[in-house]
Order: sequence, then C-alpha cells, then structure tokens
Amino acid sequence: MSEKIFNIDDLQNINVEGEKYIILQIGPSHPGSGHMRIKVWLDGDIIVKVDPDIGFVHRTSEWLSERREWIKAIPIVERIMLPDTVHANLAYVLAVEKLLGIEPPPRAQYLRSLVAEINRITSHLYGIGIFGIFLGSSTVYMWAFGDREPFIDLMEMLTGARITTSYIIPGGVRWDIPNGFKERAETVLQYMERRLKDYEDIWVKNPVVQARTINVGVLKKEDAISLGVVGPNLRASGVYYDTRKHQPYAAYPNLDFEVPTMKNGDAYDRLLIRVEEIKQSIRMIRQILKDLPEGKIIADQIYNQLNPVMKKNYEEKKRVMFPAFMIHMRPPPGEATAKVEAGRGEIFFYIKSTGDKYPYRFRWVTPSFRNLPFFTHVAVGHRLADLPTIYGSIDYFPPEADR
Amino acid sequence: MNEVRKPRDPVTGHIKALAKGFKYLLEPNRMTLDYPAETMKLPPNYRGFFTVDDKKCIGCSMCEMVCPPEAITMVPRIIGEGGKTLPAPEGEKETKGPKRTKRPVVNWGKCIFCYFCVDVCPVDAFIPTQVHDVAFEKDKDYRPSYEEYLKPPEEPYKNAKKVVSKADLKRGVSYEPAP
Repeated sequence: MSEKIFNIDDLQNINVEGEKYIILQIGPSHPGSGHMRIKVWLDGDIIVKVDPDIGFVHRTSEWLSERREWIKAIPIVERIMLPDTVHANLAYVLAVEKLLGIEPPPRAQYLRSLVAEINRITSHLYGIGIFGIFLGSSTVYMWAFGDREPFIDLMEMLTGARITTSYIIPGGVRWDIPNGFKERAETVLQYMERRLKDYEDIWVKNPVVQARTINVGVLKKEDAISLGVVGPNLRASGVYYDTRKHQPYAAYPNLDFEVPTMKNGDAYDRLLIRVEEIKQSIRMIRQILKDLPEGKIIADQIYNQLNPVMKKNYEEKKRVMFPAFMIHMRPPPGEATAKVEAGRGEIFFYIKSTGDKYPYRFRWVTPSFRNLPFFTHVAVGHRLADLPTIYGSIDYFPPEADR
Repeated sequence: MNEVRKPRDPVTGHIKALAKGFKYLLEPNRMTLDYPAETMKLPPNYRGFFTVDDKKCIGCSMCEMVCPPEAITMVPRIIGEGGKTLPAPEGEKETKGPKRTKRPVVNWGKCIFCYFCVDVCPVDAFIPTQVHDVAFEKDKDYRPSYEEYLKPPEEPYKNAKKVVSKADLKRGVSYEPAP
C-alpha cells in the first residue's frame, strides 16, 4: 500500500483520456478542507494523474484592495487566510511600513511576534485536525479543534476578536496586553505541553497512523526546491529554510528558537513537523512574555498625530486610536515587498504606490498556492486510498490559494 | 528527529492509544459552554455591537470614510439651535437657525466589527458593548434608522447564567460564574 507502483516517467504514455483510465471527480462542493475539485485519473485504483481544479473561492482580494484606501486592505487580506489572519495582516503592514518609512517600537515588535506565534499554534492545530478527519480519526479532529480554543481565547483577550483580529496597524499594534494575560498564557502553554504528550499516544505515534502515512507521498529534497514548496512542507523534506531565521522581521531576531527539519518528506514527516513547530512556538511565547520590553506600542510618527482625546485613551486604556492619517495615508511613490512565515508557509507581498490614495498594484502570493503543485507531483503512483492522506498532509486551504 | 519517527511496536502502540482513549472516556476533556443556558461575559475590549453618543458626535464623517465594508452611512440630522446666523429680513432681529449636521448609522448586515470607526473617531463618540450574539428576524432590522441605532442592542438570553472563561491546566478552558 505504501510504495509507489506507478513511475512518474510513465505519465507521457497517457493520451486517451477515459478510455483506459477512470476519471474520478472529488468535490467540488467539499473534498475536505474547503471548496476545490480534485480530478483523478485512475488505472484500476492506482492514480496516474491528478488535476486539482482551483478557483472556486476566488474573491478578487487584489482587485478589491487596489480600489480602496490603504488601511482597508487589512480586513480583506485577513478574510482570505482565515486560520492564519495575523500573518496576512502582518505581511501587508510590513510592506506598507517599508513604503512609509515607519519603524515600530520594540514592544510592538514583540507583541506582533506574540500574536503571530499564538496564531501559528491555532493554524497548525487546525491542520492536524483536518488531517485527522481525512484519515478517519474524529477523535483527533475534535481534540485539535478543541485545543485551538484556549489559544483563540488568548487572542480574544489581547485583540478583542477571536479570528479576524485586525490587530496590527502601520506603526505598531492596537492594544497592549491586558492584566492577567501573562498568567493565563502560561497556564494555556502548560496545558498544551501536557496535551501534546496525549496526542503522541493517541495519534502521532499510533501504529495505524504510522502505517498509513510512512512512505506515503514522498517529496524529495530536490523536488521540493524545484517545485517551489514553502513552509512546513519544505522543511519536512529536509530543507532548512524559514523566513523567521533567514529574513527576520518583528521580534524574531531577538528570539532563540530552532527550525525543525525532517529527512524523509513523507506524509508522516509533514505531520511531525507541525507538532515540532508547535513546541517551538510555545518556547517562543514564553520568551516573548519574559523579555517583553517596556515602552510605547505605536511609533512616534503616529503617536504625535493623536489628538488629546486619543492620547488620554492611550494613557488610560492602552488603546491606540487612529489619527486621520490612517484614512488619508498616501505612501510616497515606490515599491515594497514583504515576506512573512505564516503557518502554512511563506507569504509574499508586493505593493506599488504612486503616491495615491489607493495602492497602484497589490500583489500577494499565499503559501497554499505554492504548495499545491507538489500535491499533483507526489500523488501519482499511489492507490486512491492514499489520496486523502496526501491531500490532508499538505495542509491545503483552498480560500487561501484562490485569494 | 529520527527517534521521533521510529515506528512504534504495534502491540504497545495500540495498547497505549487504547489506554489513552479509555482514560478520556472516563474523564472527558469537555470545554463546551452550555449556550444559551450559560452565556459568556466577554473581555472589556471585545468588539461587539456598538452605538453612538448623540451628544458627543460632531458629524465629521471620519467613521464613514474608514469603514472597510462601507457599512456606515451618514444620515442628515437637524439639531436644535446653534447653526449659522441667518440673514435677518429687514426690520427684524437676527435669529439663529437650526444646525444641519450628520450622524452615522451602521448597517449590521455589512459590519465586520473591525472597530476602525470606533478608533478613528476624534471625539471617541462610539459606545462599544460586548454584545455579539444578536439575531435579526427581518431583513429590515439589519439597517436601523438613526433613532433605532441610538438604542444599544439588547443582549439575548438575559436570564442566562453569566460565566467567564478561564484557562485551566486540566481542561484547557473552564468557566466560572462571572463576578
């Protein structure tokens, strides 16, 4: 079951569709985690070709953002990457800050990393849960989605919303950490550490899971690089690349963390890497809460524009209100790019400004889109029963890829 | 990392998985809230429905301009005295006319609760609440008139037991009665 029976080089022999092969349509209403159709050519029950049909949830985020004020793109990019909102928000804001020439203060940098790491844990738990239901384990599905809840509660306490936080704005963040946050976060982290051991017994090291995932969907290191795979899927194939290490942003230059890599690049490694990254995120959150520097949470350029009412609110409630600059922002003409390591991989932003009210060009590439090509590559030669395993293991999120 | 990857011996592996499952069968890790019999008291910065303070608002339209889904409409309002002095007809006293101004109204069907409007208000005129679970019966209810908008939205299930969520070492999230 777990070894490839079909060689990828034989693909060129396929010319008569439907005559020799059965074409199976999986989806489009919901093959698993969102709206996408997977078209599969089968020889018996061996996959000879996979064609993912994407674009069912294309929401024109680039078009919409080019016709709105700069600040209004924040909720738009968040809604594209729902399990990963903070990273989309952060990537966009980093690009805008480069255009504006604003450097956020250290405390804001740390708070950005804090909420990003909390979000990474929820995102990985989401991925693990979906992978669980793909393999038929409702237990781990319920567990992972349940264990997202303490972290989402932390985000709610800090940002005022569970998922669509809109927390990061050009120049800093919108709220300071509330009283009692550190204690609560520490309890949640301890809880998660204990739960990870339970996950190990019931799911990660379960012989059933190991039998179904080891040597399934193997992505070799060279293929991973040439196909442009990003994020945990790339690191599972043994490539040491993480934007947080290689082009650090926010507070990551000051944090001590490891980038876990695996060797084999199969579905099991892609599961393990997510578990290892949760452990690293827990480590980072502890460091951030320990070393959180004092000071302002918004850059002076923005703070100086606040009116007396807003300044009073800032002093009393630690809440940053928006000066009129936020609406009438006109970044100087130029181009900016930003890269952020999101839960599923690297987000890339390219923004061009002509000094106008709206962005002239708004371009972004999401990690799921870059992870899709290797799905078609590795699924070939496996039996149909392995398709959910492979599809689940890449942690693909269709709305994110379709943008 | 290879010791993590090593396949577990099937016998002990299955026994461990079953034992863990049995443990959780006896002591389930429930973190569900018995809604609507219990409702949550949300943190003070939670972004729920909000209304506007008619006295504070200066009708500057900043909230309308910043609203990402364009949910805010400025409605014309005429408020008492205090407008520009009208040119008086000959032989009569100069009178102060009514003041024409604008006030925001939120279309709840469009609002995404990002609170950009609340934060951009130069006089901090919006009154945030933590009410988030209001259901609208009719399509029209999404679009209140200004008078309806001034009333803060009512919380459903008023008699429900109020609880606050708390991080719990054993269960992740637990609930205790609100203070």
